Amino acid sequence: MWLRFMKPWGLRPRGEKWKGRLQSLLALQPLRLASGCRPPSVTARALVNHWAQLFEERGVPEARESSEYIVAHVLGAKTFQSLSASQRCAPITDLQQEQIGELCTRRLQRMPVQYVIGEWDFQGLTLKMTPPVFIPRPETEELVNLVLHEQSQRCQEFRRKRTLAHQSHSWPLILDVCCGSGAIALSLLSKLTQSRVVAVDKGEEAVQLTRENAQRLHLEDRIQIVRHDITSGVNREQLLPWGPVDFVVSNPPYIFHCDMAQLAPEILSYEDTDSLDGGENGMSVIREILSQAPMLLKDSGSIFLEVDPRHPELVEKWLQSHPDLGLSLLATHVDFCGKPRFLHIHKSRDPGSRRTQNV
Amino acid sequence: MPRNFRIKDCFRSVSLFPACLSAMMQSLLLLRSARCLWTRGALLRTPRRPASSGSPQLEELFSGGGAMRNFLERLTGPGVQAHFGVKEPELAMAARKLREKEQELQEIERLLEDENEDLRKLAENEIISCQKELTKLKQKIILLLIPSEETDENDLILELTAGVGGQEAMLFTAEMFDMYQRYATYKKWHFEILEYFPSEIGGLRHASASIGGPEAYRHMKFEGGVHRVQRVPKTEKQGRMHTSTMTVAILPQPTEINLVINPKELRIETKRASGAGGQHVNTTDSAVRIVHLPTGVATECQQERSQIKNKEMAMKKLRAKLYSMLLEEETNKRYSARKIQIGTKGRSEKIRTYHFPQNRVTDHRISKSLYDIQSFMLGEYLLDELIQSLKEYADYESITEVISERC
Repeated sequence: MWLRFMKPWGLRPRGEKWKGRLQSLLALQPLRLASGCRPPSVTARALVNHWAQLFEERGVPEARESSEYIVAHVLGAKTFQSLSASQRCAPITDLQQEQIGELCTRRLQRMPVQYVIGEWDFQGLTLKMTPPVFIPRPETEELVNLVLHEQSQRCQEFRRKRTLAHQSHSWPLILDVCCGSGAIALSLLSKLTQSRVVAVDKGEEAVQLTRENAQRLHLEDRIQIVRHDITSGVNREQLLPWGPVDFVVSNPPYIFHCDMAQLAPEILSYEDTDSLDGGENGMSVIREILSQAPMLLKDSGSIFLEVDPRHPELVEKWLQSHPDLGLSLLATHVDFCGKPRFLHIHKSRDPGSRRTQNV
Repeated sequence: MPRNFRIKDCFRSVSLFPACLSAMMQSLLLLRSARCLWTRGALLRTPRRPASSGSPQLEELFSGGGAMRNFLERLTGPGVQAHFGVKEPELAMAARKLREKEQELQEIERLLEDENEDLRKLAENEIISCQKELTKLKQKIILLLIPSEETDENDLILELTAGVGGQEAMLFTAEMFDMYQRYATYKKWHFEILEYFPSEIGGLRHASASIGGPEAYRHMKFEGGVHRVQRVPKTEKQGRMHTSTMTVAILPQPTEINLVINPKELRIETKRASGAGGQHVNTTDSAVRIVHLPTGVATECQQERSQIKNKEMAMKKLRAKLYSMLLEEETNKRYSARKIQIGTKGRSEKIRTYHFPQNRVTDHRISKSLYDIQSFMLGEYLLDELIQSLKEYADYESITEVISERC
């Protein structure tokens, strides 16, 4: 019965959706009274089915998932699967139905689910998401794990050598280039409880969002957020407030320019293309990071990059043609789909005169 | 899976296994035999109260001429040294002290017949403090004798499945799940839902959760089994009483050392199998399924929006499943002659009844009834009290076993 009432909102043309919904809600009231008894309460599952079907009809990808995430969000859960039995069968209020309708209408306009509900999870954190700041992809969670793994290896090595070396063990300093929403920087800070991170992005929205996320997660004391375009050269004072870093981590724009047109509407019309478009062969920002990294890294520091599966070969060639940088590709790691996705690049020697200065 | 397939072959660190297992199996066996006795009704009696000041059970256990006495005498006697285990010197010392204290008590008791009134009063006071010390010593001996399971300190995975009774069974399963979640909060344990498959009317078909905290397994292991509910269900229109069941399984969570899985033997399935991936796509489906190829055991998780979190949780579940299979196999191999199935027994035995019209919860293993179901299902002190009773009873039974085995 309620489906009959709901259909009109979703199917209404975009412009008049708000007014239309209110009218149909008002129209619903007298009917309820007339029937003389409580109308059957709408269940969460029925709402999910309704919107999933509508998404399907309109060609919205991940129709069921989108519908589930939105309904769960309005009911106060992260996923539909994590709704408790009582949450699931409690009657849904008119206000909740209205909220769900409003959010689903945005999804019908192909807005990514993460922007629709205004947040998403990355590693263990819930981050605020606002357009047009790049939405972190699941692959990048693995990039963070690689950095954490490297750090735990360094710790073990340090413990083994402790009797020999006199340098004190310290938490790594990290530079996150193209930080977007702050996903990489903040998840590293939450795991490495005494590390400090410098997060850099050229977009004002990204810098703002990283700052907001850092505050929400109470990590703002250990992060320095800098608005800076890495392609315009290095500003060491800005980028290295605490001196050279142990790790440079980045998920730079790496999509080949020629592939940009084929991206889904969710990406093309909502996400900042500057955070995706890597130029002619997706290398423009990668090259900049590699050129500048030797000046930013400590001796034997590491760079961790997320790249396109065609990049490992290109990057290796490029590094070979730039021996003066003193960088070497230590390892290529595959993502959960088995695609070569992550590069671990090592700074093997200092290119400039710093080494002699240190001696 | 072939009949003679041994899951043990799938793991790398099995060399560690026999040593740590034998201790555990021994104690499992003891518990098992204790349970057998309960179910047979051979030892039906009111459960032992906490072993505090001079409880009847404590006295009974230490009564003259009993097995415990014989055991302690043997222990303190000449020529019996050091082949029992690590705790033995401590135990022997406590036994010696006990004997000394008892002799002291006897001597003081003689003073009660003295003519001097002051001396008699002094003796009375002495006797009281002496008895207190004796109780302490006895409790200490008991603690030293209780065998602990290797897995007692582990975290665990709690699995709830609705049994016979359709929607009503599922409704009850949902209530049980809430009860355990609240119990975990009450015990200040960490409780993380791994999966939750509800029914449409607010019931629960199946769910699992990971529980971690001090002695979580030691407490929760007594909850494994079939729980029966008797009441008039919400769904019943004619007011008839129904009997439904649900099953609880408690799987100890292996530590890194208990179980090592070769990553090459895992197939991890996600929704992003094709396409360019990475920045090229924005998908939100974060469900993860993990298959352990040699055994075909599979787990999945879609509780979280983060894919890597789902993977961690699915992995946790997989490890617990493989570990319990491993334990079961070892057990079957060791005790097949006695037809003991420790791993599965807990899941098939009816252990408790929740009788709503009588407002009563009865644990059949110790024939103990508690009244006030509602408070019980809050998962607070009443549930804790019952679990404590079960624990004490199991301890008591295993001590009896230990003593009879050693004498």
